[in-house]
Amino acid sequence: MASAQGKRLASGGLIDRTRTLPFTFDGETLSGHPGDTLASALLASGKTLVGRSFKYHRPRGILTAGCEEPNALVELRNGARREPNTRATTIELYDGLDAASQNRWPSLKLDLLAANQLFSPIFGAGFYYKTFMWPASFWEKVYEPAIRRAAGLGRAAEAPDPDHYEKANAFCDVLVTGAGASGLAAALAAARSGSRVILCEEDFRLGGRLLAERDEIDGRPAMDWVKAAEAELEALPDCRIMRRISVVGVYDGGTYAALERVNDHVPVPPAHEPRQRLWRIVAKRAVLCAGAIERPVVFGDNDRPGIMLAGAVRTYLNRFGVAPGNRAVIFADNDDAFRTAVDLVGAGVEVAALIDARKGSSASAQAAAEKANARYLAGAVIKRVRGGQAVKGVEIRDQSGKIERLDCDLIAMSGGWSPTVHLTTHLNGKPKWDEGLAALVPGSLPPGMSVAGAALGQFGLASCLASGQAAGAEAARACGFTPSIQALPAASDENTAASAVWQVAGGKGKAFVDFQNDVTVSDVKLAAREGFRIPEHLKRYTTLGMATDQGKTANANGAAVLAGVTGRYVGAVGTTTFRPPFTPVAIAAFAGHHRGQDFRPARLAPSHGWAEEQGAYFVETGPWLRALYYPWEGEEPQATVNREVATVRTNVGVCDVSTLGKIDVQGKDAGVFLDRVYANTFSSLPVGRARYGLMLREDGFVLDDGTTARLKDDHYFMTTTTANAVRVMQHLEFCQQCLWPELGVQMVSVTEQWAQFAVAGPRARDVLQGVVDPAHDLSNAAFPYLAAGDVTVCGGTPARLFRLSFSGELAYEVAVPARFGETMMRAILEAGAPYGIAPYGTEALGVLRIEKGHPAGGELNGQTTAHDLGLGKLVSTKKDFIGRFMAARPALTDPARPSLVGLRPVDREDRLRAGAHLIPRGEDATAKNDQGYVTSIAFSPSLGHWLGLGLLSRGPERHGEIVRAYDPLRGDDVLVEVCPPCFIDSAGERLRV
Amino acid sequence: MSKRPLHALSALAGIAVPGRFGKPDGEPSVMIGELSGLGLATVASRQGQDAALKSAVLQAYGVQLPESSRVAQGSAVSFIGYGPGQWLAVSESLAHEALAGDLSQRLAGLASISDQSGGRTVLRVSGPRARDVLAKGLPVDLDPRAFPLGSAAASVIGHMGVQLWQVDDTRTYDIAVFRSLSQSFWRWLTASAAEFGYEVSGQN
Repeated sequence: MASAQGKRLASGGLIDRTRTLPFTFDGETLSGHPGDTLASALLASGKTLVGRSFKYHRPRGILTAGCEEPNALVELRNGARREPNTRATTIELYDGLDAASQNRWPSLKLDLLAANQLFSPIFGAGFYYKTFMWPASFWEKVYEPAIRRAAGLGRAAEAPDPDHYEKANAFCDVLVTGAGASGLAAALAAARSGSRVILCEEDFRLGGRLLAERDEIDGRPAMDWVKAAEAELEALPDCRIMRRISVVGVYDGGTYAALERVNDHVPVPPAHEPRQRLWRIVAKRAVLCAGAIERPVVFGDNDRPGIMLAGAVRTYLNRFGVAPGNRAVIFADNDDAFRTAVDLVGAGVEVAALIDARKGSSASAQAAAEKANARYLAGAVIKRVRGGQAVKGVEIRDQSGKIERLDCDLIAMSGGWSPTVHLTTHLNGKPKWDEGLAALVPGSLPPGMSVAGAALGQFGLASCLASGQAAGAEAARACGFTPSIQALPAASDENTAASAVWQVAGGKGKAFVDFQNDVTVSDVKLAAREGFRIPEHLKRYTTLGMATDQGKTANANGAAVLAGVTGRYVGAVGTTTFRPPFTPVAIAAFAGHHRGQDFRPARLAPSHGWAEEQGAYFVETGPWLRALYYPWEGEEPQATVNREVATVRTNVGVCDVSTLGKIDVQGKDAGVFLDRVYANTFSSLPVGRARYGLMLREDGFVLDDGTTARLKDDHYFMTTTTANAVRVMQHLEFCQQCLWPELGVQMVSVTEQWAQFAVAGPRARDVLQGVVDPAHDLSNAAFPYLAAGDVTVCGGTPARLFRLSFSGELAYEVAVPARFGETMMRAILEAGAPYGIAPYGTEALGVLRIEKGHPAGGELNGQTTAHDLGLGKLVSTKKDFIGRFMAARPALTDPARPSLVGLRPVDREDRLRAGAHLIPRGEDATAKNDQGYVTSIAFSPSLGHWLGLGLLSRGPERHGEIVRAYDPLRGDDVLVEVCPPCFIDSAGERLRV
Repeated sequence: MSKRPLHALSALAGIAVPGRFGKPDGEPSVMIGELSGLGLATVASRQGQDAALKSAVLQAYGVQLPESSRVAQGSAVSFIGYGPGQWLAVSESLAHEALAGDLSQRLAGLASISDQSGGRTVLRVSGPRARDVLAKGLPVDLDPRAFPLGSAAASVIGHMGVQLWQVDDTRTYDIAVFRSLSQSFWRWLTASAAEFGYEVSGQN
């Protein structure tokens, strides 16, 4: 049963009283109306205590009515959708909303951790830095967990978020941020000119402060003007109004990030709709109409529930039809705040006193007091607040020093307004101090941005309308449109003069500067005493301005208190840097579509569908998913790999090698070009032949290897390793475009075009004869080792055939257009069935090449030279090529460099570990004795024991020597024999039969 | 001997199933279909042959090779510029390898041709919300004022390279993606279209 909304006014407010929305807070069922926020609905139900503070667990209420809220943070929703630290002031009420207060135990009213404040003398600024330093080992196990339990904000959900998030791009001529008076005026001026306009409003309603005030425009309620403006903008085809969207960041090139809360205002997003959408908006011009944020006054116990910003009080009264109290005092240093008195009285709230902190009295404030039938105390301050979980009264010290007690349950306070300059600083703009406004105003702006209205320090309504219209027209003009001159709507500028008082000296109780982080005046003083006198340092030391609100209500007061303590002028203290995002953005929104399976795109090989059918186990190889092995039912992985290797060595196997990079290199100078990018020579390669090629970087180290075939006189077909495909393509394009534009050569990646299969093993030719059309002679004489050429397969499908071997066996690679890839795999297996063919995956591929001593990923590690890899003899001495000169540097030709060797365990039962260090037998395992390391290991089913490849200092001279393979990481220390890297058929006879 | 002819398989076989998906009510506002059987080939101008290539293409295919990122639609072959002196040629009538064969013959010595007909999946996205779907990944302004008919773009969607060109002035776009990325791209596309309701047509 929903309890009554006892604080709801009888009439008024932009809420739909015909419908009631039940919701729960800390398990209690309450109710509100459409148009409410959680904060306004809580206040309507008389809930003024809504949270506990971060460090001291002090009772806290609702301070603001907007995104700057530091106190009223709740856990919204439950289970997998639980979202901590959501601001009750920005949550749109919906039927069945479920929220809980946070950072309290066991309950909001009785929070045992509030005892923390008794120890506040030792919890001052820098407490953690000073206290938990020793012993260091205690930090992770004792201190941090304890601190995290005691302090902190809400709890994150423990299950994956069931909703989806997405990103989107939008483009416009003029982006208007904020749909208050200035923003609407700017959007109207820009859109009427025909420019493409996007108007972004954080709230679910347009109007900004006009929603909260009782202003008039053109002699009528301002909301009439808002509605007319909204209708006109909606009707313009090139104007897009976006609601529930926060512009959170400014980036280069007129790019803006904005978070749209598409379905945060419903319990569960409708099917197929995202919860949130992160926009990237590209705008030629932007008009920032972000308004201003009201500042609290710093006085003792200024954080008690019932103390609220004056502007927020007016919002709850006028927009939501809620009385935040029964008897109010207003404590402020500006006339704008004192008009709250009139609104309060109009709503039936008694106003006890207007406490004007300024020296001297204000006629305008006095007039407001008279209208409200309230006392006006000029030059007075609140010295003390009575009440703990709710305000009960105040002690006032008047001009003469006399103390007076007043009962009240609401304190509307205001220390003036600070323009919301945050977005103007994201590209390193520096706001500047305006003494007249006692506030920072926009300084240098991001390119293409202008600012209007309160964000510019133009606080009066007439000024907002005028500056908004002018900025909107100017932005459209800058985009090439011709805005017509429009009459300004008539409005008056209220008195917005400020005379900042900042803080009350000599009060009782903790005077909070930053509510969210429990930073008090004494913390700022302590920090200043200890030398943290710059706002950036103050922030890091005291946490002032950190966490979800980033000090929106705290920074200005922090700077003022720091100025007071250090005897400086407020404008000289400066500010911290505001960085994106302006308001918190969920990581899920940044990820968008890219989570789980789509964390990043996966490239699938042409035979992928078939491999899935076989139950292949896949592995990520760069962006590719490749079959690691093809287990038979009940087969252990190692047994599978052993079987696959043995099948290749004894019968024949097939492996999808389509993932290798493939590049068509064409043109009259293709051969010359390849001679310059490869360390060995390709211009002499006959048509119809392939050759192993080694590519060096400019610095002389090995970049990549692969085979390149000459298909025609002016057409080469290059392959690269899977891992380096993109890098090699970039390298070639750089070489062609920047180094040798005079060469007539064209390159294009054809990796995707060809499905390529390695068919390897003694029966490979028999299998190929089953798929290659009979017109092609595959005999060793007609198509010898390293032959290459066009063929047709399976009755006329065009294909390319290469006689290449990575396994050391008789082997071919056959390529067909990728759309035939899957059926080609099936055809090869069918043709190979009589010969005992089996598919093999990349694990077996690795074992086969290690048995043959071919360098691959572990050896092509960017730190090895051709000589290190035993490929020195490939390097041409007759021509110039990339890397030639630098490869001749003394350090790269030092004979003591670690070079490729084979390694086998002395005790054949021992297993080898990749990464193990190679140390001379009998020597200590010290860095000084470290002579190299194991780069690749495999269990060789052909030899029946583990073997490895490694890089060992002077390796080739040390064949036969026994060394230690020492692996401190896994605690292994085995003796291995150094041997030539090729363990199988070292004469290379098998691949030439 | 296995001499049964190989049959071609779309990278989206069994995945791009015809039917109505996503938001179920109302008319589907996005249509998605795979264009199969296209001839695709890259054409790269040979050194010093730019002018000769242009006139040869004009003569052979009746198309003026576009200078920049635009599509020139011919009756048999369209050319999409994607870099200086580089085009993607697309043809419905010269299917698969036939296009590269035809180009190699007619442009011999003037351009380097590489068959790409197996290397791309080409999807046609159309309908009143097609642009809203593409906006969820494509960082290109598709408004007709910025992307008039004949425009093309080589860009990125969800970390996947794409080539996109506008087919007609009814919000119809053809998108070529690398074949190996087809399934990842399909998941992005359908997730993005779901809120509008989309219809997958049979292969065209």
